[in-house]
Amino acid sequence: MRKLFCICGLLLLCAGVGTYLTQPERQTAVPVIYWVIDPAPARGQQIALFHRWLIKNGHGAEYVLRTPQDVAAFRAEKWSPALVKAITDENPGSDAIWQGEASPAALPLIIRAPGVEMRLDSASNDLNKKLVQGISGVAGDVIEGYGGGKQMQYLAAGGMLADVTESAQAYGFGPDKTYPALAPALFYDGRQYAFPRNPAQVLYWVNKGTFKEYGQPLPPSRWTIEEFEQCGKAFVAAANPAGERRTVFFADRLMMVELRRSLGLSVFNETLTQCTLDDPRNARAMALMHKWTYEDHILPSAADKASFDTEGGWGGQSFQLFKSGRYAMFASGRWALMLFRKFGAMQLAVVEPPHGGMPNTVLSGGQSTVYRASKHRKYAELFLAYMAGEDYNMQIVRDGDALPPNPIYTETELFRHPPDYPNEWGCHEGYANAAKTIATVQSFSPFVLPVVVERYDTMAQDDVMNDRATPEEAGVRASERINEEIGLTLRESDVLRRRYEELCTTQEQIEELRAAGKPVPVALITNPFHQRYYREQGWLADEE
Amino acid sequence: MSLTARERKKLAVGLAFIGPNIAGFLIFILFPLVFSLAMAFTNWDLRLHNIFKGNDVRFVGLENFVRLFREPDFFQYLGNTLFLMMAIPFSVAGSLFAAILLSQDLRGGDRRVWGGVLACAGLVVGTGALVMVGAKVTAMLLLVGGVAGIVLIGGVVGGRTVHRTLFYFPHFTAGVATFLLWKKLYSPHTGPVNHALRPILTQFAGLVTRLPVGSVRALALFCAALSAAVVLFGVRQLRRGWRDGEIGGLSIALGSVLLFAPVVAWPCCGGSAGAGWVVVATAVVAGGMLWVGIAKPRDFTCTLDRGLGHGLIVCGALMVVQFALLGLGNVFTDLPAMSADGLNPPEWLTQYSWAKPSIMIMGFWAAIGSNNMLLYLAGLSNIPVELYEAADIDGASRVQRFWNVTWPQLAPVTFFILVMAVIHGLQGGFEMARTMTRGGPAGSTTTLSYYVYTQGFETGRLGYASAVAWTLFALVFLVTLFNWKFGNRYTND
Repeated sequence: MRKLFCICGLLLLCAGVGTYLTQPERQTAVPVIYWVIDPAPARGQQIALFHRWLIKNGHGAEYVLRTPQDVAAFRAEKWSPALVKAITDENPGSDAIWQGEASPAALPLIIRAPGVEMRLDSASNDLNKKLVQGISGVAGDVIEGYGGGKQMQYLAAGGMLADVTESAQAYGFGPDKTYPALAPALFYDGRQYAFPRNPAQVLYWVNKGTFKEYGQPLPPSRWTIEEFEQCGKAFVAAANPAGERRTVFFADRLMMVELRRSLGLSVFNETLTQCTLDDPRNARAMALMHKWTYEDHILPSAADKASFDTEGGWGGQSFQLFKSGRYAMFASGRWALMLFRKFGAMQLAVVEPPHGGMPNTVLSGGQSTVYRASKHRKYAELFLAYMAGEDYNMQIVRDGDALPPNPIYTETELFRHPPDYPNEWGCHEGYANAAKTIATVQSFSPFVLPVVVERYDTMAQDDVMNDRATPEEAGVRASERINEEIGLTLRESDVLRRRYEELCTTQEQIEELRAAGKPVPVALITNPFHQRYYREQGWLADEE
Repeated sequence: MSLTARERKKLAVGLAFIGPNIAGFLIFILFPLVFSLAMAFTNWDLRLHNIFKGNDVRFVGLENFVRLFREPDFFQYLGNTLFLMMAIPFSVAGSLFAAILLSQDLRGGDRRVWGGVLACAGLVVGTGALVMVGAKVTAMLLLVGGVAGIVLIGGVVGGRTVHRTLFYFPHFTAGVATFLLWKKLYSPHTGPVNHALRPILTQFAGLVTRLPVGSVRALALFCAALSAAVVLFGVRQLRRGWRDGEIGGLSIALGSVLLFAPVVAWPCCGGSAGAGWVVVATAVVAGGMLWVGIAKPRDFTCTLDRGLGHGLIVCGALMVVQFALLGLGNVFTDLPAMSADGLNPPEWLTQYSWAKPSIMIMGFWAAIGSNNMLLYLAGLSNIPVELYEAADIDGASRVQRFWNVTWPQLAPVTFFILVMAVIHGLQGGFEMARTMTRGGPAGSTTTLSYYVYTQGFETGRLGYASAVAWTLFALVFLVTLFNWKFGNRYTND
């Protein structure tokens, strides 16, 4: 028994050593950095372009191969297939090296290789995993934050993200390299922590074929709530035979945030110190949601959606239902094209969400951040610089993966009129123009976590949709809960409490100015939505 | 006492063998346990206290616990947890029933069994024939008929081992895979469950609309009358126990609270006026009977808490039955109006009022073929055959054999299963909430364990989450202690 125990112990020890020796980081000629993100099909190409970008921009090493022995030694380095391809693509004439056919006449050869290899880490893409790994010191080097800044705010609050403000200026991925409306979402506490990977906003994709099938006119690109309801009712009446269960809907969902904002309401007040979901405008928005779902049947109910959306996330069944005409309109970003293009040449258009006075969209999308404890922070920051450059942006343009982070690439002919997809012409401008003119980012308060706000907001909407509360009651309850969370945060942090008190004083100033009918200086307003709203209403004292 | 060299060597070898296990226990179980207990009294927050932030963890005393009991959501989530535990008696009954079935050997030869097999085969063939002639039969009926036939035929051919394997099969599947499967089954418009229910409910609605409204609503009165009978039965049990000195004052008091709780709660539950009068009359009569019964002097006395377990179990079960009957009565009251618009199947996980029952049904399915069934099978095999022979000699019917021989002999197994089920019930619900509903709709499926997770990892407040977890532990500990003290005595009696 003793011998068996010792043998088992030795075997385990050997297995441990073997695992250590075969770690990916030890099987490569250059350091490895990890990108924590979802495994979308485009990732491989994006990483390959990054390797080539590193070579092109001199962020790597240069190898001078003078003799065949040098060539052999170079080949014997542990180059991964991804790096071999990048080296071959960026060093003309170097492919012979890998086949061992480099002739002495071709020597000396100067080979440039990237200074780092990037690999994908999709397994750690869950927010909780990112946080726990981050604060434990073992997170990936480049971490993706979703939700238009929501996750970035959470991770930055935990201190696990690198402040890239100086690097952004040095490497050229500052807020001036992306959409002006998106800039606030890159910052936490006045410092930049992110760069957008694929700015996205949600518009309604329109299946022209479905409208034609039921003899309905196409919706206008910009429309009011009343026009939306009128068109929706007419559509569902035409598309669903009387007396049978409805299977065709006007749209797959309602964009609640955009609707609320179009009525002039944000989740927070101007200084982000108080939740304002108890406002009657929120109740009106929730009442509309209920009415359009259960009375007018323009939108599917939760049960309908549960039946349809049996697979969530990338490639969900909603796309199939839009294609098959069960939804006449489908709320999604430009990135939906990556799937639509697989369906064949659908006749498409895009329209804005309906508005109640102020047309608006919410600019969000993924953001790339750098892990503060990354061992190769420079290269992680270079990855953000690569995202601001032409190679990456044109790859986004070609793939249709939302908007290119740098808006100048939305002016290219390839973006506006992709030659292989003439059925999409006219749609891309819709997204680009909305991002540049009517989009704002979500409003995040430093005094309460976005995930908490979302939870209580969703609960309020659930209460209304399940007839457990009136819209007014649900809004008041959500607002009370969120304000309680703000109070809790203030009790935990003296720094935040001082800041809160300063902002409350500012809020009082704003309210006094508004009550007196005087214009408000934009510097007093912290909430990016209110900055735009005040501008639209002509309430601002000065413009920058 | 000093050890010899040989003894020291033996000790060293023994420690070396158990060392890894002890080390694992200390590092991964004991240390986190003690650490979380300490953290429950601090303001530990992942956002503020980690390797990147220099903030100190501060001792806050009982602040987390005070906050917990002031949190309105906590009581909703506690209520959700306790509601889901109401399925425990049904799950235990289901696993017992499955064990009794599986202890029968159906291997071929019995005419009734072959008759059942033929009936099943006829069902499958008949269903197929109906489909071929164009009758609207859903695929689910075919599936159910086919599966039932396969199970029965397999048992006839292969003996009870086949049945036991098939029944235990769901237990092999990973939890998350099962939940995802059920999520698809529960899909309101495309799932097979509603696909099967829809035509049945449509036919039923048609039948109801053809009946006089009064006759349907009279069923509500019938349910109220049954509920009254249940109350009177419970009062009779309490009076008899009191008279015979088997239950004490505390048992009477707590048992009465449970027994009359549905009567007291009735005004909040709606229902017809007629049923309301029956309930009120029941309360008055039953209350009077109980009072008269316990006011009389009794021949045998006992301690205050004697029979507490028995009283609570019996009155608790009767309370659940009453609620079920009164609820059914409400359904009958509203059924004519509902049927006029056509009856739709529930929306299961997406409907607030059906989300919890959906999870309970799934739990019941899982419990039938679970380890509880195996425990009951083992318990059944240990019952002395002589007891059954004696019962047969005395002319006992099958029901009497079960109630007077099988059920008492299985009392220790039942006690163990109930204790474990209560512990798991209080701790459970996390996987289902995380996989199927994310705690919704509107927090209806958020249990205490899921609340611990959201507080710990969505907001980062691990100190508060630890306080919630230890409060949950205290609750489980108290309930288990209660079970051991009174349930054990009940089992031994």
